[in-house]
Amino acid sequence: MTDLDTRAAVTIDTPNYRPPHGRRGRPRPYSASKRRSTLLTVLLWLCVLYFVLPLWWLFVSSTKDTSALFSTFGLWFGPDFSLWDNLVDLFTTRGGLFVRWIGNTVFYALTAAVGATLLSAMAGYAFAKFDFPGKKVLFSITLGAVMIPLTALALPTYLLFAQAGLTDTPWAIIVPSLVSPFGVYLMRVYAADAIDDSLLEAARVDGSGEFRTFWQVGFRLLGPGLVTVFLFSLVGTWNNYFLPLIMLNSSDLYPLTVGLAQIQAAASAGGGSQAAFSTVITGSLVTVIPLVIAFLFLQRYWQSGLSTGSVKG
Amino acid sequence: MKQKRKTAAALLAGTALAATVLTGCTSGGGSADGGGPVTQEQIDEAMSTPTTLTFWTWVPDIDQEVALFEQKYPEIDVKVENVGQGLPHYQKLRSAIEAGEGAPDVAQIEYQYIPSFVLSESLLDLADYGAADLEDDYVGWAWNQVSPGDEVWAIPQDIGPMGNLYREDLLTQAGIAEPPATWDDYAAAAKAVKDSTGSYISNLGATQAGQMIGFFWQAGVKPFGYDGAETVKIDVNSDGAKEVADYWTGLIQDDLISTDVDFNDQWYQGLASGKYAGWLTAAWGPVFLQGTAEGTSGQWRAAPLPQWSAGDEVSGNWGGSSDAVLASSENPIAAAELAKFINHDEESAMQLATQQFLFPPQQSVLSDPAFIDQESEFYGGQQVNKLFAEISETVDTDFEWLPFMDYVYSSYEETMGTVIADKGDIAAALDTWQDQLVSYAEDQGFTVE
Amino acid sequence: MTHTPTAARTAARPAERRRTSTSKRKQRTAAYLFILPFFLVFLTMLVVPLFYSGWLSFFESKLIGGEQFAGLANYVRALGDSAFWGSLLRVLAFLLIQVPIMLILALCFALALDSGRARGSRTVRLLIFMPYAVPAVVATLMWGYLYGPDFGPIAQIARAVGLGTPEFLTPGNILGSMMNIVTWEFIGYNMIIMYAALRSIPAELYEAAEIDGAGQFRVAWSVKIPAIRPAIMLTVIFSIIGSFQLFNEPSLLNTIAPDAITNSFMPNYYAYNLAFINQELNYAAAIAFLLGLLIAIVSYIVQLSEQRRERRERRLS
Repeated sequence: MTDLDTRAAVTIDTPNYRPPHGRRGRPRPYSASKRRSTLLTVLLWLCVLYFVLPLWWLFVSSTKDTSALFSTFGLWFGPDFSLWDNLVDLFTTRGGLFVRWIGNTVFYALTAAVGATLLSAMAGYAFAKFDFPGKKVLFSITLGAVMIPLTALALPTYLLFAQAGLTDTPWAIIVPSLVSPFGVYLMRVYAADAIDDSLLEAARVDGSGEFRTFWQVGFRLLGPGLVTVFLFSLVGTWNNYFLPLIMLNSSDLYPLTVGLAQIQAAASAGGGSQAAFSTVITGSLVTVIPLVIAFLFLQRYWQSGLSTGSVKG
Repeated sequence: MKQKRKTAAALLAGTALAATVLTGCTSGGGSADGGGPVTQEQIDEAMSTPTTLTFWTWVPDIDQEVALFEQKYPEIDVKVENVGQGLPHYQKLRSAIEAGEGAPDVAQIEYQYIPSFVLSESLLDLADYGAADLEDDYVGWAWNQVSPGDEVWAIPQDIGPMGNLYREDLLTQAGIAEPPATWDDYAAAAKAVKDSTGSYISNLGATQAGQMIGFFWQAGVKPFGYDGAETVKIDVNSDGAKEVADYWTGLIQDDLISTDVDFNDQWYQGLASGKYAGWLTAAWGPVFLQGTAEGTSGQWRAAPLPQWSAGDEVSGNWGGSSDAVLASSENPIAAAELAKFINHDEESAMQLATQQFLFPPQQSVLSDPAFIDQESEFYGGQQVNKLFAEISETVDTDFEWLPFMDYVYSSYEETMGTVIADKGDIAAALDTWQDQLVSYAEDQGFTVE
Repeated sequence: MTHTPTAARTAARPAERRRTSTSKRKQRTAAYLFILPFFLVFLTMLVVPLFYSGWLSFFESKLIGGEQFAGLANYVRALGDSAFWGSLLRVLAFLLIQVPIMLILALCFALALDSGRARGSRTVRLLIFMPYAVPAVVATLMWGYLYGPDFGPIAQIARAVGLGTPEFLTPGNILGSMMNIVTWEFIGYNMIIMYAALRSIPAELYEAAEIDGAGQFRVAWSVKIPAIRPAIMLTVIFSIIGSFQLFNEPSLLNTIAPDAITNSFMPNYYAYNLAFINQELNYAAAIAFLLGLLIAIVSYIVQLSEQRRERRERRLS
């Protein structure tokens, strides 16, 4: 699905609704004594195969040269271990452009994720902690925005961007990625839960300005929520294919997704040079790895952030 | 009219982006100063003024030829961009033209797409930029493609006259000593090959409109026509076209020809593994195949296409492209020089043919022993270039396109592609295709002949 | 009533009321400043293109004759466009088949993991979630190879066991193959949302049930699932919207199986092709608008029925 990840929508009429006895991170003292079920374990691990095998295939295939790719069994290694050769090919084709694409992707994804997190945190905080006229309408509009089929509006958007001179610049990728309605929603729910009003009130009594309070009190307490929004924006931008596809013309500016699709197309069309399917596959592997690592390392944070966000829906 | 849309866009963008710079329409004017042909002084002046040109092309490593150009004109800096191959390339080009911003100076354009850019008045007429004199240097039909009238819309870069690449070993195994001379022979050979080797004599890519149109071209079918203004001719279901269609329907339904989608990994492997004993392809095919089916080196041979009547020598074209200068270029003279240089300069044209393996449309290369006398190991020492150079002389010179080939091809996939894949009646699908094309053309305001 | 300490305090200390009202005004200003950056980008990046498209959808542009006002002509045309309806039917198939399968599986995984009865459930959770981190470009490319009739491992295995060659990429089967890709990509994502919700159910809520001797399935069905209903609803709405907006998968599969993926395979993909291949920008804008409207209506109906149900249940209990 397309931009579901960061622009996902939620529908809530009662954002402050809490399930009865709502408490996060409940201890489960008895769970250690629970009997393990072998049947369940086996079943679950069998299912895991479905999720892992394609990625296993990707890894195994990255170690094969093009001819082995089509002559050996897909889920096991070929006679030669060519991962290194493939990597060398990958990083040297078209003058090492792939390295540049990695750099671009990291840059776009990080900038957009930091920006989106910041904007979402500020907006979500305001929605959670202040009363102001138009609050309800603005919030509904924000959530309603997810219904817009963005890809269908690609060409009008492109024309507008071109008028503003934004096409074929990093801005065309970063700025639209700053909008994360789901992020705003998540931060609102999270802020409502994690920041106690009495803390803010105390800060106000002390004469602290609203912005200082936000930075010094709010921001700190929003930690896991921030990580969650950050990660989902990161994935959203990292994996975005469509926006850069239409906005960028210079291969110097491409992110990995567009670059990969292009070398895949070039490999298919041949175009006088050799078809290098193995290069494309190795490139795919390299594209996937950083995100998997990011999720692994930050899982403690984003899961707790998400758990607050999701119960309140 | 386009201007209106642009104004509205500017208005909206203006309100939204408050103080951003609104870069207006930057069409630098198409014609040379003063209207007449550009003079040598003007050219000299333009070529010694520091200039940056943008060149959109998907020819791999064309940097090498561009380097020759920059060497000759050190003041000119060329930025080569690959924005995609085929359709994505044209989509980007159209978006940039529509937006009036970001279009390149020079762009690679396949012959069949030239009319659509002529229609939108996006191309610079190169006749005044010294291109009118180049006519005699090119294969006749290729020149007609870029210059159907007095105007010259692009410089031919490569062509794809069609021939027959086949596995000699498999055909021999089936008792066929000579490549099939007529289509009847080909059908008989297909049966023999299938019976004795299990291979298909060739594959007809289900969605490959270019190949089918190439067959039409050879059969003298003229499915399209465009007068350069508002009138188009659409006749894809003529009797001639249906004859071609019925021929293929027969072979496909007898399971003598496969209809796999081409240019994907399955198909590559089919070529390499002997699933297909041949490939009816264009002049760019031989080198391409060489890279794909290394393991079968030495067993391939090249021949002309089978003929509809014994003793004929006619072929069609599939593929090839040209370089055009965009009307919006601010440096039309330098851009025109680049388009000419890349494809016409002796060294550059030769290099395109021998390093990038583009099959040349230029007479001087086609007669250069360094090119045509090359013997290819892969084809058992055959002089493949010479063969295709000869074939290129047998391509019908008058073949026209519609000014909306993106739609024509996509409609082909929908109507023809599905039927071919299902081994259905291709002639009947031609009627559906015809209907779709006519209705689209009428919707778009064309007069359909 | 956790969110009204300010009001409570004000009532308790009437003397401070005046100071509070000035600080209220200040707070209001601060609030607007807080949301300003977001809405600025929101406005320029989403709202403006939207209105521009809406404006475009009332015009008609021809290759010959140019652009002119057309009123609702594009919308009328869309309602009679069988290709558009066909694409909506395929979305319907997604909604009726793929979404339930994906969400039920996600729920099962979430419940199984939450029960704590499987060994290595931490690792399992991460592995199931991993596909979400894979870009659709890579996922589709990967599955394209896996589906391959000659060299794909699935076909290799099927042939080895004597099942013949499964055909995933034919016109008849491609919808199912696409459903599988989408399911693979998003089960983990939905599972995590549900799992996170499950983790925050207060333990005492079902400890009692367990002590009463209710089995795991019973607890799951009558305690856990009702408790995470809001989270499940969230995933339902996400999935509905996602199904309507499918683009990457059809677009990338089209390069692998152009004979199976038609231009109007999915509505969003159709709108894109109309704009870029048919050069019918205005019509594409109208299709996009109708699509947005449809998404809003369907999401609204789903929510409404959920609210009704909730109210009914509350009355019952």
